[in-house]
Amino acid sequence: MTDGNVMETPDSGSSREALLASTFVALADTLVDDYDVVDMLDGLVNSCVALLGVSQAGLMLADQRGALHLMASSNEATRIVELFQLQGTEGGPCVQACRTGVAVHVDDLTRATPWPRFADTAVTAGFRSVHAVPMRWRETTLGALNLFNEEPPSLGNEDQQLARAFADVATIAILQQRSLHRSSQLVEQLQSALNSRIVIEQAKGVLAEHGKVGMDMAFVALRDFARNHNLKLAAVAEALVRRERSADDILVAVPRPSAPGDADR
Amino acid sequence: MSGFKETEGTYGVNPRIRDFLVSCIGAVAVDGGGVSLLSRTGAGEPVYGSDPTAEKLERLQFTLGEGPCVDASAGRSPVLVPDLESPGSGATERWPTFLAEAFDLGVRAVFAFPLRIGARSLGAVDFYRKAAGPLEDRDVVTSLTVVDTIALALLDGDADVDGAFGAESLHNLEVHRAAGMVMMQMRSSIEEAVLLLRATSFAEGVPIDALARAVVHGERRFEEESA
Repeated sequence: MTDGNVMETPDSGSSREALLASTFVALADTLVDDYDVVDMLDGLVNSCVALLGVSQAGLMLADQRGALHLMASSNEATRIVELFQLQGTEGGPCVQACRTGVAVHVDDLTRATPWPRFADTAVTAGFRSVHAVPMRWRETTLGALNLFNEEPPSLGNEDQQLARAFADVATIAILQQRSLHRSSQLVEQLQSALNSRIVIEQAKGVLAEHGKVGMDMAFVALRDFARNHNLKLAAVAEALVRRERSADDILVAVPRPSAPGDADR
Repeated sequence: MSGFKETEGTYGVNPRIRDFLVSCIGAVAVDGGGVSLLSRTGAGEPVYGSDPTAEKLERLQFTLGEGPCVDASAGRSPVLVPDLESPGSGATERWPTFLAEAFDLGVRAVFAFPLRIGARSLGAVDFYRKAAGPLEDRDVVTSLTVVDTIALALLDGDADVDGAFGAESLHNLEVHRAAGMVMMQMRSSIEEAVLLLRATSFAEGVPIDALARAVVHGERRFEEESA
């Protein structure tokens, strides 16, 4: 994936199919040796938004204790990130999809759901429908792909199948190798991905504070810097947090607000 | 019990850490374990082994500069080797010298877990077993929890922070987002920032996730002067 931001929402028909094909080829191309999992999943959730016509997409991963953690979000602004994470404490479609291994669709969040606090927060954030697709590997559910839309209903049949394909690509990306055969390797890959995400969160905080920018802008600056310098996202984040790389270097291309304060956090 | 001198490393190893590790070894299907810590310069130093074999394994890896514990300290991933002699383990290619020494000690399985506070590696904990075989799922969970608890105990030093502000704060992404901000506000290291958040949460009786959210939303700042 060269840049997950430049794809536009397709109209319909053959142009969409061509775009789909090229997106999956591009995603597969990123699965080369030693790729950066978080960067790859960031491209994947942005492709979901572009191709499925949803408003936001996020990917949650379950750790060995069963707790869910956000691995990638199409928008890293705090209010969106918190909506994904809220499911860990209040329950939500992702938690249910992870527990049951079955996809969850909610066409209208203003009607009764099993997770009233999650639904209220989602509606307040402007969303009306939500969709969670489990990431399954053999008997294990690794996590779920979470799609939010500002309009009801949720996805149609064809788009649901497409969402499943995206979830499968994400599963492969997390496992990093198709011939994974030991449960020990699964533990290693999951922990590695989760630890990478923690380092990136620390780096977002460093950049947001130093540059007085929102968390979304901080993430984009970090990601773009890594891509432009052909470095791994987690490696850049780690160097920044360890003060081996300066925040100014990474924020150099980011427009600074004229006044302090940050509406996007 | 241990032949290692204590408190020579950056943090030393306090009795609490020893107790956590010993309880973990009792609860998990392993024969022993040890802790190695990284100094500020990044050099590894074995600080504890639960028995002579564990002590040798720890010292060996950092003398040779290779082994599962060295890799776990340097990386972000656990290194779990259920059978050192299995060709699929990759042990021959990754740690040829260590492998020969481990064989002499009669060690067949090694499970090494990084001790990390996000970007900062503190070292690693490893367990060994004389019989081959993977860690059961529940043993993995126990190990991860004990490793997190040890990481926090290293961070807190001798501070008596209540168990209620426990290991789950290490998995809360918002706490890490806030720690990145606090690190810049206080001109501190990331581990000092995490420690400050935990200590403040404890002192003020505010859940750490609520405190972290206030920091991220700009409602709470930590300034150098107030330290």
